[in-house]
Amino acid sequence: MAVSVRSWLANEAGKHFVLMLWLAANTWLFLDTYLLYSTGQQYHYLYQMLGLGLCISRASASVLNLNCSLVLLPMCRSLLTFIRGSHTMSTRRMRRLLDKSKSFHVACGIAICIFSAVHVSAHLINVVNFSAGFSEDFPALNLARYKGEDPKLIIFTTIPGVSGVLLVLILLLMFISSSHCIRVCNYEIFWYTHNLFIVFYIILMVHMAGGALKFQTNIEAHPPGCLRASQSLRQQQQAEDLDQKQRCKEDAHFQPHYPQTWLWVSGPLCLYCVERFYRYIRSSHPVTIVTVIRHPCDVVELRMLKKNFRARPGQYILLNCPGVSPFENHPFTLTACPTENKQTFGIHLRIVGDWTEHFAHLLLPQPRAALEILPVVHQRRYPTLYVDGPFGSPSEEVFNYDVSLCIAGGIGVTPFACVLNALIERWQSFRLQRLYFVWVCRELQSFYWFAELLCALHEKLWQDNRPDYLNVKLYVTQKDSLQSMSELRYRPLAARLQVGRPKWKLLFDEIGKSNKDKRVGVFCCGPKGISRTLHRLCNSAKSSGATFEFNKESFS
Amino acid sequence: MGRIEWAMWANEQALAAGLILLAGGIVGVAGQFRGWEFASYAIAAGVFVCLLEYPRSKRAKGTSVERTGQYCFTVCVKAFGPVTRNYYVRAFLHAALCVPGGFMLATVLGCVCLGIASLIYLAAAVRGEHWEPILPRKDTRKPVAESIKSPPQNPPPRPPPEIRRKQAKDVEGAAYDNPMSVTDDE
Repeated sequence: MAVSVRSWLANEAGKHFVLMLWLAANTWLFLDTYLLYSTGQQYHYLYQMLGLGLCISRASASVLNLNCSLVLLPMCRSLLTFIRGSHTMSTRRMRRLLDKSKSFHVACGIAICIFSAVHVSAHLINVVNFSAGFSEDFPALNLARYKGEDPKLIIFTTIPGVSGVLLVLILLLMFISSSHCIRVCNYEIFWYTHNLFIVFYIILMVHMAGGALKFQTNIEAHPPGCLRASQSLRQQQQAEDLDQKQRCKEDAHFQPHYPQTWLWVSGPLCLYCVERFYRYIRSSHPVTIVTVIRHPCDVVELRMLKKNFRARPGQYILLNCPGVSPFENHPFTLTACPTENKQTFGIHLRIVGDWTEHFAHLLLPQPRAALEILPVVHQRRYPTLYVDGPFGSPSEEVFNYDVSLCIAGGIGVTPFACVLNALIERWQSFRLQRLYFVWVCRELQSFYWFAELLCALHEKLWQDNRPDYLNVKLYVTQKDSLQSMSELRYRPLAARLQVGRPKWKLLFDEIGKSNKDKRVGVFCCGPKGISRTLHRLCNSAKSSGATFEFNKESFS
Repeated sequence: MGRIEWAMWANEQALAAGLILLAGGIVGVAGQFRGWEFASYAIAAGVFVCLLEYPRSKRAKGTSVERTGQYCFTVCVKAFGPVTRNYYVRAFLHAALCVPGGFMLATVLGCVCLGIASLIYLAAAVRGEHWEPILPRKDTRKPVAESIKSPPQNPPPRPPPEIRRKQAKDVEGAAYDNPMSVTDDE
């Protein structure tokens, strides 16, 4: 499939631009610091002793400073949610960039790892040079105590050395446990090791203490390379031939660097700590569980009530149930937001994995033993539940396009269910003029989660004389048995149900032809295979039709 | 903490430690630093650890994703039977392998990482985990129903020859009552 320039620009240009900007900042910082140390007069004697290792280590250190400060910013989720919500502060292009915040965090993290490796290697060479090139002329410059001191001793007896070793260990632990496999299978290991970042930052801020690298303070009085009174006679005779060489007025004075890392890092670190504290305070009141409903195919709907809880369609919350596990937070997209008429908000959770299994076990009444004759009436005691959030997600943008295409796979329909709920209340108040809703499920029973909602919306739009507003296409992929929805009230859905996988190319062609020269927002919440196919289709759409802007909802 | 599989984390950590040990060993030998014999040992130990840790174990619950091209390594590691299956053996093996790496600066990082991996393997072994090979699934085809293989031997039932002749001449008179009802009212 050929890539169409207009579509590619619409989808990829923004994030590639930010990437280029970030790479340029890193490159500029690296080169600038490198040149400072290799050509700066105040580092002349230090450069003579250490050589290239000095320049590379300091240059990589400044890149590390930048990345250590940037890596925290994409993780301030409440701040990003606020930016996303304030339409005055941001345009749709900027909000689409916010979708990529996790990728930016990963990019900064990888840069930290690579430049740490460079920094450590360069400093190891420095330590060897400190030991071998012990300077008798400028004793203040030395880090080693005597010539030929064992480099291992230098490392383990100075603050920069010891803190450096600890930093590398923590960084390695964090990096190795954040591989995709561990995040998918054992998220807790990733979460607990990643929270070691606070130890990392504390040690990072004391890493420069001790002043291992010094610069010369009196350049005018003692220009580097000038003649010293203590030089031997032969050297003085050689030097007298050259008239330009001046005589030193005084000995070179050296001063250690003022630690700079805290200037870079303390801002974002404070911001992140404030945000975590704010989230903790906000989620400290338990929510009241109003109803629990069991749906087919292992799905449980939970309706809750919380004071001062406001959410927009498409946002997600983090649930914490101390009765199941005190430290685990699990994200769930809201399927119903609180409105003026209805204060409750709801989620649909699918029972897969041990946390959801245990949680559902606590929520739902257990099947009674057959021996009980008299029904025992007892108060339903729900477990305490804390809710953190809501946090923004790409699906909030559905209302900001003229035409939107929402594609859901299985339980991925939850953000769009919230959108449909909002449309049923007040579809006229949004910019959205047309919504294509594609839902692919493995089993027919799954459609019953939101069959009522879809039929109600269809009915309402029909009554309001806008039948073309909502286009529903349902696909059931399991072909084992002939199936259809036989209930009378679900006839609109039964008529729009197809067996087999959807043909995405045909769908895109159809939508492109019907909405020529418009920007269609494509929202995908489903398995990776579908989202990859859709991304490729969005980039290669024909330029004579609509432009498709791809927005993907990512899990974790 | 739920059902965490420590072995998976230990496996990733050990593989990374093997690579770091290998890299440190190469640097040590190439630079001919003091104590380069330890570096050459580290190269050998690093390669061995990488080969041992490359095949991922099958998860106790859930889908296991294998590393690219790990099948041949799986077969080799499986051939050693209980020695590689047991995580206590792996824990002590890694603990023993990592010690000589601590004597040289270039390999000290690999040594510490391998030590951490050995501790995690010990935790996994205490919780009763063991290594299971991921073998390719043999797809069993559903047995084809008998009726498909043998076509019907007899032709469908037809009315006797006199009536067939009548049908050819007189189409209206050829109509007959079906012995079985074809509507679904009943």
